[in-house]
Amino acid sequence: MEEPAKGTVTPFASMFPFDEAKKAVKRVEDAIAEKLKELERHKQFIADNTNLVNLVSRLPDELHHDVMVPFGKAAFFPGRLIHTNEFVVLLGEGYYAERTAKQTIDILTRRGKALDSQVESLKVNIKDLRAEASFFGSTAAEAAEGLVEIREDYVEKSYTEEQSKSEKVDKKVRVEDDEYAHIMSRLDELEKEELAAEGDNESDEDEHTNTAESDNESGEDECIDIVGSDNESDEDEQTDAAKRGSDIHEYNQTEATFNNFASQTHLETRKAQKQTKVENLSVEALSNKFHHQLDTTDQPNCTGLTVQPVPKDDMSSSRSLTQIKKSVPAEKDLMLPGVKEKLEAASSSTIEVPMWTPKSRFDSSKAFTGSIVEHLSNIEKNSQNQTVTSSQTPVRASRPGFDSSKSFTSSIVEHIDNMPTSQEQTATSSQSPNAQPSKPVSRFKMQRR
Amino acid sequence: MASSTAIRELQRDLEDKANDLSKLQKDIAKNHQVRKKYTVQLGENELVLKELDLLNEGANVYKLIGPVLVKQDLAEANANVRKRIDYISAELKRLDATLQDLEEKQNSKKDAILKLQQRIQSLQAGKAKA
Repeated sequence: MEEPAKGTVTPFASMFPFDEAKKAVKRVEDAIAEKLKELERHKQFIADNTNLVNLVSRLPDELHHDVMVPFGKAAFFPGRLIHTNEFVVLLGEGYYAERTAKQTIDILTRRGKALDSQVESLKVNIKDLRAEASFFGSTAAEAAEGLVEIREDYVEKSYTEEQSKSEKVDKKVRVEDDEYAHIMSRLDELEKEELAAEGDNESDEDEHTNTAESDNESGEDECIDIVGSDNESDEDEQTDAAKRGSDIHEYNQTEATFNNFASQTHLETRKAQKQTKVENLSVEALSNKFHHQLDTTDQPNCTGLTVQPVPKDDMSSSRSLTQIKKSVPAEKDLMLPGVKEKLEAASSSTIEVPMWTPKSRFDSSKAFTGSIVEHLSNIEKNSQNQTVTSSQTPVRASRPGFDSSKSFTSSIVEHIDNMPTSQEQTATSSQSPNAQPSKPVSRFKMQRR
Repeated sequence: MASSTAIRELQRDLEDKANDLSKLQKDIAKNHQVRKKYTVQLGENELVLKELDLLNEGANVYKLIGPVLVKQDLAEANANVRKRIDYISAELKRLDATLQDLEEKQNSKKDAILKLQQRIQSLQAGKAKA
Protein backbone atom coordinates (compact mmCIF):
# COMPACT_ATOMS: atom_id res chain seq x y z
CA MET A 1 0.00 0.00 0.00
CA GLU A 2 2.84 2.26 0.65
CA GLU A 3 3.69 4.02 -2.45
CA PRO A 4 7.12 5.35 -2.83
CA ALA A 5 5.98 8.86 -2.55
CA LYS A 6 8.42 11.48 -1.82
CA GLY A 7 7.90 12.78 1.59
CA THR A 8 9.63 14.04 4.61
CA VAL A 9 9.84 12.40 7.90
CA THR A 10 10.51 14.73 10.70
CA PRO A 11 10.78 13.49 14.19
CA PHE A 12 8.86 15.57 16.60
CA ALA A 13 11.96 15.96 18.61
CA SER A 14 13.49 18.07 15.93
CA MET A 15 10.51 20.23 15.41
CA PHE A 16 9.76 20.76 19.06
CA PRO A 17 12.90 20.16 21.02
CA PHE A 18 12.11 18.26 24.11
CA ASP A 19 14.00 20.59 26.40
CA GLU A 20 12.39 23.65 25.10
CA ALA A 21 9.00 22.12 25.34
CA LYS A 22 9.68 21.36 28.96
CA LYS A 23 10.86 24.86 29.62
CA ALA A 24 7.77 26.23 28.05
CA VAL A 25 5.70 24.02 30.27
CA LYS A 26 7.55 25.29 33.31
CA ARG A 27 7.08 28.88 32.30
CA VAL A 28 3.41 28.44 31.83
CA GLU A 29 3.13 26.67 35.13
CA ASP A 30 4.83 29.55 36.87
CA ALA A 31 2.40 31.94 35.37
CA ILE A 32 -0.41 29.73 36.53
CA ALA A 33 0.96 29.73 40.07
CA GLU A 34 1.08 33.48 40.09
CA LYS A 35 -2.42 33.80 38.89
CA LEU A 36 -3.56 31.33 41.50
CA LYS A 37 -2.03 33.47 44.22
CA GLU A 38 -3.86 36.47 42.91
CA LEU A 39 -7.02 34.49 42.91
CA GLU A 40 -6.50 33.58 46.54
CA ARG A 41 -6.02 37.20 47.48
CA HIS A 42 -9.14 38.24 45.74
CA LYS A 43 -11.09 35.50 47.41
CA GLN A 44 -9.84 36.75 50.73
CA PHE A 45 -11.02 40.24 49.92
CA ILE A 46 -14.43 38.97 49.06
CA ALA A 47 -14.67 37.09 52.33
CA ASP A 48 -13.71 40.17 54.29
CA ASN A 49 -16.21 42.20 52.43
CA THR A 50 -19.01 39.83 53.27
CA ASN A 51 -18.12 39.87 56.95
CA LEU A 52 -18.09 43.61 56.94
CA VAL A 53 -21.47 43.76 55.35
CA ASN A 54 -22.88 41.53 58.06
CA LEU A 55 -21.34 43.63 60.79
CA VAL A 56 -22.52 46.89 59.36
CA SER A 57 -26.01 45.57 59.00
CA ARG A 58 -26.10 44.55 62.64
CA LEU A 59 -24.68 47.70 64.18
CA PRO A 60 -27.60 50.08 63.77
CA ASP A 61 -29.85 47.62 65.59
CA GLU A 62 -28.90 49.23 68.86
CA LEU A 63 -28.46 52.81 69.86
CA HIS A 64 -25.14 51.92 71.46
CA HIS A 65 -23.17 48.76 71.93
CA ASP A 66 -21.14 47.80 74.99
CA VAL A 67 -17.82 46.45 73.87
CA MET A 68 -14.34 45.69 75.18
CA VAL A 69 -12.09 48.17 73.49
CA PRO A 70 -8.50 47.14 72.84
CA PHE A 71 -6.03 49.38 74.56
CA GLY A 72 -2.49 49.06 73.42
CA LYS A 73 -1.05 45.67 72.79
CA ALA A 74 -2.24 43.67 75.75
CA ALA A 75 -5.20 45.39 77.38
CA PHE A 76 -8.83 46.04 76.92
CA PHE A 77 -11.24 48.26 78.68
CA PRO A 78 -14.97 48.30 78.58
CA GLY A 79 -16.41 50.92 76.32
CA ARG A 80 -19.43 51.88 74.32
CA LEU A 81 -20.03 52.17 70.60
CA ILE A 82 -22.24 55.17 69.85
CA HIS A 83 -23.42 56.82 66.70
CA THR A 84 -24.08 53.40 65.40
CA ASN A 85 -25.53 54.63 62.17
CA GLU A 86 -22.70 56.86 61.00
CA PHE A 87 -19.93 55.45 58.98
CA VAL A 88 -16.98 57.05 57.28
CA VAL A 89 -16.40 54.85 54.31
CA LEU A 90 -13.23 54.66 52.26
CA LEU A 91 -14.15 55.24 48.65
CA GLY A 92 -10.64 54.70 47.33
CA GLU A 93 -7.59 56.79 46.60
CA GLY A 94 -7.66 58.38 50.04
CA TYR A 95 -11.22 59.64 49.77
CA TYR A 96 -13.69 59.00 52.54
CA ALA A 97 -17.36 59.68 52.70
CA GLU A 98 -19.76 59.89 55.59
CA ARG A 99 -22.60 57.52 55.05
CA THR A 100 -25.31 55.73 56.93
CA ALA A 101 -25.31 52.03 57.51
CA LYS A 102 -27.63 51.30 54.65
CA GLN A 103 -25.63 53.41 52.25
CA THR A 104 -22.47 51.80 53.46
CA ILE A 105 -23.88 48.42 52.75
CA ASP A 106 -24.71 49.55 49.25
CA ILE A 107 -21.18 50.71 48.69
CA LEU A 108 -19.82 47.49 50.02
CA THR A 109 -22.00 45.32 47.84
CA ARG A 110 -20.97 47.27 44.79
CA ARG A 111 -17.36 46.78 45.71
CA GLY A 112 -18.03 43.10 46.19
CA LYS A 113 -19.46 42.85 42.70
CA ALA A 114 -16.39 44.47 41.19
CA LEU A 115 -14.23 41.99 43.04
CA ASP A 116 -16.30 39.11 41.76
CA SER A 117 -15.85 40.15 38.17
CA GLN A 118 -12.12 40.39 38.73
CA VAL A 119 -12.07 36.92 40.15
CA GLU A 120 -13.95 35.63 37.15
CA SER A 121 -11.48 37.09 34.71
CA LEU A 122 -8.64 35.65 36.74
CA LYS A 123 -10.20 32.23 36.61
CA VAL A 124 -10.57 32.41 32.86
CA ASN A 125 -6.94 33.40 32.59
CA ILE A 126 -5.92 30.45 34.66
CA LYS A 127 -7.95 28.12 32.52
CA ASP A 128 -6.25 29.34 29.38
CA LEU A 129 -2.87 28.98 30.95
CA ARG A 130 -3.69 25.49 32.05
CA ALA A 131 -4.71 24.53 28.54
CA GLU A 132 -1.47 25.94 27.25
CA ALA A 133 0.50 24.02 29.80
CA SER A 134 -1.20 20.77 28.94
CA PHE A 135 -0.52 21.33 25.29
CA PHE A 136 3.11 21.94 25.94
CA GLY A 137 3.24 18.94 28.14
CA SER A 138 1.75 16.66 25.56
CA THR A 139 4.11 18.01 22.92
CA ALA A 140 7.04 17.37 25.17
CA ALA A 141 5.87 13.85 25.80
CA GLU A 142 5.43 13.21 22.13
CA ALA A 143 8.83 14.57 21.37
CA ALA A 144 10.27 12.29 23.96
CA GLU A 145 8.49 9.33 22.47
CA GLY A 146 9.99 10.00 19.15
CA LEU A 147 6.75 10.60 17.40
CA VAL A 148 7.33 11.31 13.81
CA GLU A 149 5.58 13.66 11.51
CA ILE A 150 5.33 12.33 8.03
CA ARG A 151 4.61 14.54 5.14
CA GLU A 152 4.06 13.07 1.75
CA ASP A 153 3.47 14.67 -1.55
CA TYR A 154 0.17 14.06 -3.02
CA VAL A 155 0.72 12.01 -6.13
CA GLU A 156 -2.11 11.44 -8.47
CA LYS A 157 -1.84 7.82 -9.34
CA SER A 158 -4.09 4.96 -10.08
CA TYR A 159 -6.44 3.83 -7.48
CA THR A 160 -3.94 1.50 -6.04
CA GLU A 161 -1.87 4.43 -5.20
CA GLU A 162 -4.39 6.20 -3.25
CA GLN A 163 -2.32 5.68 -0.26
CA SER A 164 -0.02 8.27 -1.50
CA LYS A 165 -2.68 10.73 -0.78
CA SER A 166 -0.51 13.47 0.24
CA GLU A 167 -1.60 14.83 3.39
CA LYS A 168 0.07 15.56 6.55
CA VAL A 169 -0.35 12.37 8.34
CA ASP A 170 0.84 11.88 11.77
CA LYS A 171 0.72 8.22 12.03
CA LYS A 172 2.50 5.35 13.42
CA VAL A 173 3.64 3.64 10.34
CA ARG A 174 3.95 0.26 11.87
CA VAL A 175 0.31 -0.03 12.65
CA GLU A 176 -0.57 0.40 9.06
CA ASP A 177 1.82 -2.24 8.00
CA ASP A 178 0.29 -4.74 10.28
CA GLU A 179 -3.11 -4.05 9.00
CA TYR A 180 -1.88 -4.18 5.53
CA ALA A 181 -0.37 -7.59 5.95
CA HIS A 182 -3.54 -8.80 7.48
CA ILE A 183 -5.61 -7.53 4.67
CA MET A 184 -3.29 -8.94 2.10
CA SER A 185 -3.62 -12.38 3.48
CA ARG A 186 -7.34 -12.10 3.41
CA LEU A 187 -7.30 -10.91 -0.10
CA ASP A 188 -5.27 -13.86 -1.10
CA GLU A 189 -7.85 -16.15 0.30
CA LEU A 190 -10.64 -14.41 -1.45
CA GLU A 191 -8.76 -14.42 -4.63
CA LYS A 192 -8.40 -18.11 -4.55
CA GLU A 193 -12.06 -18.57 -4.05
CA GLU A 194 -12.82 -16.24 -6.81
CA LEU A 195 -10.59 -17.98 -9.20
CA ALA A 196 -12.36 -21.16 -8.50
CA ALA A 197 -15.70 -19.56 -8.99
CA GLU A 198 -14.75 -17.73 -12.06
CA GLY A 199 -13.59 -20.80 -13.79
CA ASP A 200 -17.08 -22.16 -13.61
CA ASN A 201 -18.83 -19.08 -14.63
CA GLU A 202 -16.84 -18.24 -17.64
CA SER A 203 -18.88 -18.19 -20.73
CA ASP A 204 -19.49 -16.31 -23.86
CA GLU A 205 -21.58 -13.88 -22.03
CA ASP A 206 -18.86 -13.31 -19.71
CA GLU A 207 -16.54 -12.57 -22.46
CA HIS A 208 -18.86 -10.09 -23.83
CA THR A 209 -19.54 -8.47 -20.61
CA ASN A 210 -16.06 -8.88 -19.55
CA THR A 211 -14.72 -6.97 -22.41
CA ALA A 212 -17.06 -4.23 -21.74
CA GLU A 213 -16.49 -4.47 -18.11
CA SER A 214 -12.91 -5.18 -18.37
CA ASP A 215 -12.54 -1.92 -20.07
CA ASN A 216 -14.07 -0.32 -17.17
CA GLU A 217 -12.29 -2.42 -14.75
CA SER A 218 -8.99 -2.36 -16.33
CA GLY A 219 -8.76 1.17 -15.41
CA GLU A 220 -9.52 0.31 -11.96
CA ASP A 221 -8.56 -3.23 -11.88
CA GLU A 222 -10.90 -3.64 -9.13
CA CYS A 223 -13.80 -2.57 -11.11
CA ILE A 224 -13.07 -4.88 -13.89
CA ASP A 225 -12.81 -7.92 -11.87
CA ILE A 226 -15.97 -7.24 -10.18
CA VAL A 227 -17.69 -6.52 -13.34
CA GLY A 228 -16.33 -9.59 -14.91
CA SER A 229 -17.44 -11.63 -12.08
CA ASP A 230 -20.78 -10.03 -12.12
CA ASN A 231 -21.25 -10.74 -15.67
CA GLU A 232 -20.38 -14.22 -15.17
CA SER A 233 -23.54 -15.15 -13.56
CA ASP A 234 -26.81 -13.63 -12.82
CA GLU A 235 -27.09 -15.75 -9.83
CA ASP A 236 -24.02 -14.31 -8.50
CA GLU A 237 -25.49 -10.95 -8.86
CA GLN A 238 -28.33 -11.86 -6.71
CA THR A 239 -26.18 -13.21 -4.09
CA ASP A 240 -24.03 -10.24 -4.41
CA ALA A 241 -26.89 -8.02 -3.70
CA ALA A 242 -27.54 -9.89 -0.56
CA LYS A 243 -24.01 -9.74 0.34
CA ARG A 244 -23.80 -6.14 -0.29
CA GLY A 245 -26.19 -5.48 2.38
CA SER A 246 -24.17 -7.43 4.81
CA ASP A 247 -21.04 -6.18 3.37
CA ILE A 248 -21.92 -2.73 4.08
CA HIS A 249 -21.58 -3.43 7.68
CA GLU A 250 -18.34 -5.08 7.16
CA TYR A 251 -17.49 -2.30 4.97
CA ASN A 252 -17.55 0.14 7.72
CA GLN A 253 -15.29 -1.91 9.78
CA THR A 254 -12.95 -2.73 7.13
CA GLU A 255 -12.59 0.72 5.94
CA ALA A 256 -9.30 0.98 7.56
CA THR A 257 -8.16 -2.20 6.08
CA PHE A 258 -9.68 -1.30 2.85
CA ASN A 259 -6.84 0.81 1.88
CA ASN A 260 -4.69 -2.15 2.15
CA PHE A 261 -7.28 -4.10 0.40
CA ALA A 262 -7.35 -1.71 -2.35
CA SER A 263 -3.94 -2.68 -3.32
CA GLN A 264 -4.69 -6.26 -2.77
CA THR A 265 -7.91 -6.23 -4.54
CA HIS A 266 -6.10 -4.76 -7.31
CA LEU A 267 -4.07 -7.85 -7.51
CA GLU A 268 -6.99 -10.05 -7.13
CA THR A 269 -8.98 -8.36 -9.72
CA ARG A 270 -6.20 -8.85 -12.02
CA LYS A 271 -6.14 -12.49 -11.30
CA ALA A 272 -9.81 -12.79 -11.78
CA GLN A 273 -9.44 -11.29 -15.10
CA LYS A 274 -7.08 -13.87 -16.16
CA GLN A 275 -9.62 -16.48 -15.62
CA THR A 276 -11.89 -15.24 -18.21
CA LYS A 277 -10.43 -16.13 -21.48
CA VAL A 278 -11.39 -13.23 -23.49
CA GLU A 279 -11.61 -11.00 -20.58
CA ASN A 280 -8.07 -11.38 -19.71
CA LEU A 281 -6.85 -10.07 -22.91
CA SER A 282 -9.30 -7.34 -23.15
CA VAL A 283 -9.05 -6.51 -19.57
CA GLU A 284 -5.40 -6.27 -19.54
CA ALA A 285 -5.41 -4.19 -22.57
CA LEU A 286 -8.01 -2.07 -21.02
CA SER A 287 -6.25 -1.96 -17.76
CA ASN A 288 -3.26 -0.63 -19.46
CA LYS A 289 -5.28 1.96 -21.06
CA PHE A 290 -6.96 2.60 -17.88
CA HIS A 291 -3.95 3.06 -15.86
CA HIS A 292 -2.69 5.31 -18.41
CA GLN A 293 -5.85 7.14 -18.44
CA LEU A 294 -6.14 7.13 -14.77
CA ASP A 295 -2.81 8.60 -14.36
CA THR A 296 -3.37 11.16 -16.92
CA THR A 297 -6.88 11.92 -16.16
CA ASP A 298 -7.44 13.27 -12.85
CA GLN A 299 -10.50 12.87 -11.02
CA PRO A 300 -11.94 16.08 -11.89
CA ASN A 301 -15.16 14.32 -12.01
CA CYS A 302 -14.81 13.09 -8.60
CA THR A 303 -14.50 16.31 -6.91
CA GLY A 304 -15.31 14.73 -3.70
CA LEU A 305 -13.01 11.86 -4.18
CA THR A 306 -9.64 12.67 -3.06
CA VAL A 307 -7.56 9.68 -3.39
CA GLN A 308 -8.64 7.77 -6.33
CA PRO A 309 -7.79 9.07 -9.65
CA VAL A 310 -10.90 9.36 -11.53
CA PRO A 311 -10.68 8.00 -14.88
CA LYS A 312 -11.89 10.56 -17.15
CA ASP A 313 -14.43 10.09 -19.73
CA ASP A 314 -11.89 11.07 -22.16
CA MET A 315 -10.58 7.66 -22.21
CA SER A 316 -13.84 6.40 -23.25
CA SER A 317 -12.33 3.91 -25.50
CA SER A 318 -15.30 2.04 -24.52
CA ARG A 319 -18.21 3.56 -22.90
CA SER A 320 -17.81 1.25 -20.08
CA LEU A 321 -14.26 2.27 -19.74
CA THR A 322 -15.04 5.83 -19.41
CA GLN A 323 -17.65 5.10 -16.99
CA ILE A 324 -15.50 2.93 -15.01
CA LYS A 325 -12.79 5.38 -14.96
CA LYS A 326 -14.84 7.94 -13.40
CA SER A 327 -16.09 5.74 -10.79
CA VAL A 328 -12.65 4.65 -10.13
CA PRO A 329 -11.53 7.77 -8.53
CA ALA A 330 -11.59 6.76 -5.06
CA GLU A 331 -14.94 5.81 -6.01
CA LYS A 332 -13.66 2.82 -7.65
CA ASP A 333 -15.41 0.95 -5.12
CA LEU A 334 -18.39 2.80 -6.02
CA MET A 335 -18.03 2.09 -9.58
CA LEU A 336 -17.70 -1.52 -9.10
CA PRO A 337 -20.88 -1.80 -7.28
CA GLY A 338 -22.42 0.47 -9.72
CA VAL A 339 -21.14 -1.60 -12.48
CA LYS A 340 -22.23 -4.69 -10.86
CA GLU A 341 -25.55 -3.41 -10.19
CA LYS A 342 -25.95 -2.56 -13.71
CA LEU A 343 -25.00 -5.96 -14.72
CA GLU A 344 -27.28 -7.47 -12.33
CA ALA A 345 -30.04 -5.38 -13.41
CA ALA A 346 -29.87 -7.56 -16.39
CA SER A 347 -29.76 -4.52 -18.41
CA SER A 348 -27.16 -4.82 -20.97
CA SER A 349 -23.90 -3.41 -20.12
CA THR A 350 -24.78 -0.72 -22.49
CA ILE A 351 -27.23 0.55 -20.05
CA GLU A 352 -24.62 0.67 -17.50
CA VAL A 353 -22.38 2.42 -19.80
CA PRO A 354 -24.63 5.34 -20.16
CA MET A 355 -24.93 5.35 -16.48
CA TRP A 356 -21.32 5.45 -16.05
CA THR A 357 -20.79 8.36 -18.17
CA PRO A 358 -23.05 10.45 -16.15
CA LYS A 359 -21.32 9.21 -13.17
CA SER A 360 -18.10 10.31 -14.41
CA ARG A 361 -19.45 13.68 -13.84
CA PHE A 362 -18.91 12.65 -10.39
CA ASP A 363 -22.46 12.98 -9.66
CA SER A 364 -22.89 9.62 -11.12
CA SER A 365 -20.00 8.47 -9.19
CA LYS A 366 -21.77 9.54 -6.19
CA ALA A 367 -24.55 7.29 -6.86
CA PHE A 368 -22.11 4.56 -7.25
CA THR A 369 -20.32 5.32 -4.22
CA GLY A 370 -23.20 4.20 -2.26
CA SER A 371 -23.32 1.01 -4.10
CA ILE A 372 -19.70 0.48 -4.02
CA VAL A 373 -19.58 0.61 -0.37
CA GLU A 374 -21.83 -2.23 -0.21
CA HIS A 375 -19.71 -4.23 -2.39
CA LEU A 376 -16.78 -3.75 -0.23
CA SER A 377 -18.51 -5.22 2.63
CA ASN A 378 -19.59 -7.92 0.35
CA ILE A 379 -16.16 -8.61 -0.67
CA GLU A 380 -15.09 -9.36 2.74
CA LYS A 381 -17.94 -11.60 3.28
CA ASN A 382 -17.69 -13.03 -0.11
CA SER A 383 -14.61 -14.85 0.63
CA GLN A 384 -16.76 -17.51 1.96
CA ASN A 385 -19.61 -17.25 -0.41
CA GLN A 386 -20.21 -17.65 -3.97
CA THR A 387 -17.87 -16.87 -6.63
CA VAL A 388 -19.75 -13.88 -7.69
CA THR A 389 -19.30 -12.31 -4.43
CA SER A 390 -15.83 -13.50 -4.35
CA SER A 391 -15.22 -11.92 -7.63
CA GLN A 392 -16.66 -8.87 -6.24
CA THR A 393 -14.57 -9.05 -3.24
CA PRO A 394 -11.41 -9.06 -5.14
CA VAL A 395 -12.65 -6.08 -6.82
CA ARG A 396 -13.47 -4.56 -3.60
CA ALA A 397 -10.38 -5.48 -1.91
CA SER A 398 -8.57 -3.87 -4.65
CA ARG A 399 -10.22 -0.76 -3.81
CA PRO A 400 -7.05 0.94 -3.15
CA GLY A 401 -8.55 3.97 -2.06
CA PHE A 402 -10.40 2.78 0.84
CA ASP A 403 -9.75 6.08 2.19
CA SER A 404 -11.03 7.28 -0.98
CA SER A 405 -14.10 5.35 -0.30
CA LYS A 406 -14.22 7.11 2.91
CA SER A 407 -13.73 10.27 1.20
CA PHE A 408 -16.35 9.13 -1.13
CA THR A 409 -18.79 8.84 1.52
CA SER A 410 -18.67 12.42 2.16
CA SER A 411 -18.66 13.16 -1.44
CA ILE A 412 -21.20 10.58 -2.11
CA VAL A 413 -23.55 12.13 0.17
CA GLU A 414 -23.25 15.32 -1.55
CA HIS A 415 -23.42 13.80 -4.86
CA ILE A 416 -26.37 11.85 -4.12
CA ASP A 417 -28.17 15.02 -3.97
CA ASN A 418 -26.61 15.99 -7.16
CA MET A 419 -27.21 12.69 -8.59
CA PRO A 420 -30.74 13.35 -9.40
CA THR A 421 -29.70 16.29 -11.40
CA SER A 422 -26.81 14.66 -13.02
CA GLN A 423 -28.70 11.59 -13.68
CA GLU A 424 -31.24 13.49 -15.50
CA GLN A 425 -28.64 14.73 -17.73
CA THR A 426 -27.11 11.44 -18.48
CA ALA A 427 -30.00 9.28 -19.28
CA THR A 428 -33.24 8.36 -17.99
CA SER A 429 -32.51 4.80 -18.76
CA SER A 430 -29.81 4.84 -16.29
CA GLN A 431 -32.30 5.97 -13.82
CA SER A 432 -33.44 2.54 -13.09
CA PRO A 433 -30.02 1.20 -12.46
CA ASN A 434 -29.29 4.27 -10.47
CA ALA A 435 -32.13 3.49 -8.27
CA GLN A 436 -30.17 0.67 -6.89
CA PRO A 437 -27.20 2.73 -6.09
CA SER A 438 -29.31 5.16 -4.30
CA LYS A 439 -30.30 2.42 -1.99
CA PRO A 440 -26.87 1.48 -1.02
CA VAL A 441 -26.06 5.07 -0.74
CA SER A 442 -28.58 5.56 1.92
CA ARG A 443 -27.24 2.62 3.71
CA PHE A 444 -23.89 4.00 3.31
CA LYS A 445 -25.00 7.23 4.68
CA MET A 446 -26.36 5.57 7.68
CA GLN A 447 -23.27 3.68 8.23
CA ARG A 448 -21.10 6.56 7.71
CA ARG A 449 -23.17 8.95 9.54
CA MET B 1 46.22 36.03 12.94
CA ALA B 2 44.38 38.81 11.31
CA SER B 3 41.42 36.60 11.06
CA SER B 4 41.59 35.70 14.74
CA THR B 5 41.79 39.33 15.78
CA ALA B 6 38.91 40.06 13.51
CA ILE B 7 37.03 37.27 15.18
CA ARG B 8 37.88 38.64 18.60
CA GLU B 9 36.70 42.03 17.59
CA LEU B 10 33.50 40.65 16.32
CA GLN B 11 32.99 38.77 19.53
CA ARG B 12 33.55 41.88 21.59
CA ASP B 13 31.03 43.59 19.43
CA LEU B 14 28.67 40.77 20.07
CA GLU B 15 29.08 41.13 23.81
CA ASP B 16 28.35 44.81 23.70
CA LYS B 17 25.27 44.25 21.69
CA ALA B 18 24.17 41.52 24.03
CA ASN B 19 24.52 43.89 26.99
CA ASP B 20 22.50 46.49 25.24
CA LEU B 21 19.86 43.96 24.54
CA SER B 22 19.62 42.87 28.15
CA LYS B 23 19.37 46.51 29.24
CA LEU B 24 16.61 47.03 26.80
CA GLN B 25 14.80 44.02 28.08
CA LYS B 26 15.05 45.31 31.64
CA ASP B 27 13.62 48.60 30.54
CA ILE B 28 10.77 46.86 28.92
CA ALA B 29 10.05 44.86 32.05
CA LYS B 30 10.06 48.02 34.19
CA ASN B 31 7.78 49.66 31.74
CA HIS B 32 5.41 46.76 32.07
CA GLN B 33 5.35 47.04 35.81
CA VAL B 34 4.71 50.74 35.88
CA ARG B 35 2.00 50.27 33.37
CA LYS B 36 0.36 47.70 35.58
CA LYS B 37 0.43 50.02 38.57
CA TYR B 38 -1.06 52.84 36.62
CA THR B 39 -3.76 50.60 35.29
CA VAL B 40 -4.77 49.55 38.77
CA GLN B 41 -4.84 53.13 39.96
CA LEU B 42 -6.94 54.13 37.05
CA GLY B 43 -9.47 51.44 37.89
CA GLU B 44 -9.64 52.54 41.49
CA ASN B 45 -10.16 56.15 40.58
CA GLU B 46 -12.97 55.29 38.31
CA LEU B 47 -14.67 53.41 41.14
CA VAL B 48 -14.28 56.41 43.43
CA LEU B 49 -15.79 58.64 40.82
CA LYS B 50 -18.76 56.36 40.57
CA GLU B 51 -19.34 56.41 44.30
CA LEU B 52 -18.93 60.15 44.48
CA ASP B 53 -21.56 60.53 41.84
CA LEU B 54 -23.90 58.43 43.91
CA LEU B 55 -23.45 60.69 46.91
CA ASN B 56 -26.18 63.24 47.32
CA GLU B 57 -25.36 66.87 47.99
CA GLY B 58 -24.44 67.68 51.52
CA ALA B 59 -22.72 64.44 52.28
CA ASN B 60 -19.33 64.97 53.89
CA VAL B 61 -16.28 63.86 51.99
CA TYR B 62 -12.95 63.59 53.68
CA LYS B 63 -9.53 63.20 52.22
CA LEU B 64 -6.75 61.35 53.97
CA ILE B 65 -3.65 63.48 53.89
CA GLY B 66 -1.00 61.71 55.91
CA PRO B 67 -2.53 60.94 59.31
CA VAL B 68 -5.20 63.62 58.94
CA LEU B 69 -8.65 63.32 57.63
CA VAL B 70 -9.53 66.62 56.01
CA LYS B 71 -13.02 67.56 55.12
CA GLN B 72 -13.44 68.23 51.47
CA ASP B 73 -16.09 69.71 49.31
CA LEU B 74 -17.98 67.22 47.23
CA ALA B 75 -17.58 69.22 44.06
CA GLU B 76 -13.92 69.71 44.77
CA ALA B 77 -13.44 66.02 45.40
CA ASN B 78 -15.17 65.21 42.16
CA ALA B 79 -12.99 67.56 40.20
CA ASN B 80 -9.87 66.19 41.83
CA VAL B 81 -10.70 62.64 41.07
CA ARG B 82 -11.51 63.47 37.48
CA LYS B 83 -8.24 65.27 37.03
CA ARG B 84 -6.38 62.39 38.48
CA ILE B 85 -8.03 60.03 36.10
CA ASP B 86 -7.02 62.13 33.12
CA TYR B 87 -3.49 62.35 34.37
CA ILE B 88 -3.19 58.64 34.80
CA SER B 89 -4.58 57.95 31.32
CA ALA B 90 -2.09 60.33 29.79
CA GLU B 91 0.73 58.63 31.64
CA LEU B 92 -0.42 55.28 30.41
CA LYS B 93 -0.43 56.46 26.83
CA ARG B 94 3.04 57.85 27.18
CA LEU B 95 4.24 54.62 28.64
CA ASP B 96 2.70 52.72 25.76
CA ALA B 97 4.62 54.77 23.26
CA THR B 98 7.85 54.24 25.13
CA LEU B 99 7.16 50.55 25.28
CA GLN B 100 6.70 50.39 21.53
CA ASP B 101 9.93 52.23 21.05
CA LEU B 102 11.80 49.95 23.35
CA GLU B 103 10.42 46.86 21.67
CA GLU B 104 11.44 48.05 18.26
CA LYS B 105 14.92 48.77 19.47
CA GLN B 106 15.07 45.38 21.03
CA ASN B 107 14.10 43.67 17.79
CA SER B 108 16.64 45.53 15.77
CA LYS B 109 19.30 44.72 18.32
CA LYS B 110 18.37 41.09 18.09
CA ASP B 111 18.75 41.12 14.34
CA ALA B 112 22.10 42.80 14.57
CA ILE B 113 23.28 40.25 17.06
CA LEU B 114 22.14 37.43 14.85
CA LYS B 115 23.98 38.84 11.90
CA LEU B 116 27.10 39.25 13.96
CA GLN B 117 26.87 35.70 15.10
CA GLN B 118 26.52 34.46 11.57
CA ARG B 119 29.54 36.41 10.50
CA ILE B 120 31.55 35.01 13.32
CA GLN B 121 30.46 31.53 12.46
CA SER B 122 31.34 31.88 8.83
CA LEU B 123 34.70 33.33 9.72
CA GLN B 124 35.44 30.56 12.08
CA ALA B 125 34.35 27.98 9.58
CA GLY B 126 36.58 29.58 7.01
CA LYS B 127 39.45 29.67 9.41
CA ALA B 128 38.92 26.05 10.33
CA LYS B 129 38.96 25.06 6.70
CA ALA B 130 42.12 27.00 6.07
